[in-house]
Amino acid sequence: MPLTLRATLLLLLPALLLLSGLFLLPIGWFLTASIAELGTWPEILEEAEAVLLSGAVGRSLLTTGWIGLVVTLLTLLLGYPVSYALSRVRGAAFTAILLCIVLPYFTSTIVRTYAWMVLLGRNGLINQILLGLGLVAEPVNLLYNRTGVIIGMTYVLLPYMVLTLYAAMKAVDQRLLQAAEGMGASPGQIFLRVFMPLTLHGVVAGLLITFILAIGFFVTPALMGGPGDVMVAMLIEREVEITQNWPSAALMTIVLLAVTLSLYAVYSRFAEPGEAVR
Amino acid sequence: MTDRPRILRPSRRLLLGAALAAPALRAFPARAAGEVIVRTPGGTYDDVMRRHVYDPFTKETGIEVRPVAATSAKLLAMFRANNVELDLIDTGDGQLLTLERMGALAPIAYDKWRWSKPEDITAEVKNQYRVANFVYCTVLGYNKEHFAGGAPDSWADFWNAGKFPGPRMLSDMASGSANLEFALLADGVPKDKLYPLDVDRALKAMDRIRPQIRRFWDTGALSAQMLSDKEVVAGSIWNGRLQVLIDRKAPLAYTWNEHMIQVQALGIFKDAKNIAGAQLLADYMLQPEVQAKYSRDLIYGPTNTKAFPLLSEEERARAPGGERSRQTGFYQNVTWWEDNRDRVNRIWSRWLQR
Repeated sequence: MPLTLRATLLLLLPALLLLSGLFLLPIGWFLTASIAELGTWPEILEEAEAVLLSGAVGRSLLTTGWIGLVVTLLTLLLGYPVSYALSRVRGAAFTAILLCIVLPYFTSTIVRTYAWMVLLGRNGLINQILLGLGLVAEPVNLLYNRTGVIIGMTYVLLPYMVLTLYAAMKAVDQRLLQAAEGMGASPGQIFLRVFMPLTLHGVVAGLLITFILAIGFFVTPALMGGPGDVMVAMLIEREVEITQNWPSAALMTIVLLAVTLSLYAVYSRFAEPGEAVR
Repeated sequence: MTDRPRILRPSRRLLLGAALAAPALRAFPARAAGEVIVRTPGGTYDDVMRRHVYDPFTKETGIEVRPVAATSAKLLAMFRANNVELDLIDTGDGQLLTLERMGALAPIAYDKWRWSKPEDITAEVKNQYRVANFVYCTVLGYNKEHFAGGAPDSWADFWNAGKFPGPRMLSDMASGSANLEFALLADGVPKDKLYPLDVDRALKAMDRIRPQIRRFWDTGALSAQMLSDKEVVAGSIWNGRLQVLIDRKAPLAYTWNEHMIQVQALGIFKDAKNIAGAQLLADYMLQPEVQAKYSRDLIYGPTNTKAFPLLSEEERARAPGGERSRQTGFYQNVTWWEDNRDRVNRIWSRWLQR
């Protein structure tokens, strides 16, 4: 039985209050108060132009988008087989895979990022193994560059992709696969023509949620990146903490927020299983 | 940078105050009578200061001291929201200058001092609204083993990657300021003619060394880690951070040549609840015996000239400030940085991403 509008609102009320009190209200005031500081509308637009078209923000947006894209595709590549395995096994194997995915997710991002820094450093474990095996003559630079950022972020964001894909895969009606098999389809054909199309909405949802999270990343790129790996969140932090130019920070925040919310609007169309494909 | 008013008009301060108060759902503990709340950098710093300053101060005056951590942004937010939660601010001089220019600080009551003598405080670091409690410095640190055949001894050497090869580091704007001074020194600018910094010239010099820079560090911890993990073999680093590594037998060393002196200072919020207590604590902290004790443990330099003779010769050799700094070092000009930080940050962000 569908809930009445009133019942729905009542159930959502605590969450809505929490969200508006702790998120919407403070960020709303921060943005309006900071920007109002700039003066009249023409002055605000002038400053917006100076900040957003300074070159730094534009380049940083490109960097952010590019890193987000690479990381998102990598999580899909790594996550799809894992989710598939997770959706097909039961019992102890299921629990084991799930724990491996979810446990790191409960550890703080900073701790996990530092762990990677220990592994990836010039004299870190990975370089020692590579040198020990004679695979390389010089330590490979895996840290403080784009490679480091991508490895670190892919690792941190993988659970989001896996869990989103898993939800979509679990919802696939097994009888459809059996029917395809009964009609003589090869395993490859079953996967490509039945299973994959049925999980495509999950793939899109996973890509969007991972990308949305990736473009707001701060800790991992700030710790593992090289000189040129400046993501938008890092620029915002500098304006807040170092130059204390809050209007500038607010303008950048609005850009990032607008991108995130537009992607979220797309995401919400794909997040409902079955809705988008029908 | 200060061409537009930074202080919000009262109505906006009120609105912002409401916004900032909204997330603060936790109840504030009742303030103990006669307590000074002091902003500190936190960590081991608090332990040193508790031992040598806060506890003896409480014993002497009965006033409790409570150190709290707060970022620059938080201090600013407190003032803007008209909700100052602490009394004494112990932070970088530049940060205090920001607050001073916003009209957030009360003058230091030099005339009321009973423990310290104002005339003993080094003139460069004694201002109307802020007074330095120690100086630290950025030095050129390097790996002794890597440069066994001869180490870099100046920023010009640091820039000479042909003669002194190896990955390097310098500071990022995110640490507070980029090492533009060192770029200019390497480019031949004398240390007494650095300010106003020629940013374009500095970045042109930075272009030359950039391929050797593994990373621009944003925190003292990162710079220490990169040098001790041999991620880099040379770089700019705060003397205290480096000395801790050297004392732990890391194969590192540094030169005092062309070191940049930076200032940590005290300021008092004019809206503080315990201004009198904060004034007393500042006065107490700056007396020679007390300064000598905490400087020794922090490996930073006293600002009270009478504190230097209380250090042993070996301790003086490790501390910045004093006579040697006058000869081989230079003071970072926080006023210039405060005037130009916004502009430089934009140029720097663009340059980084070239």
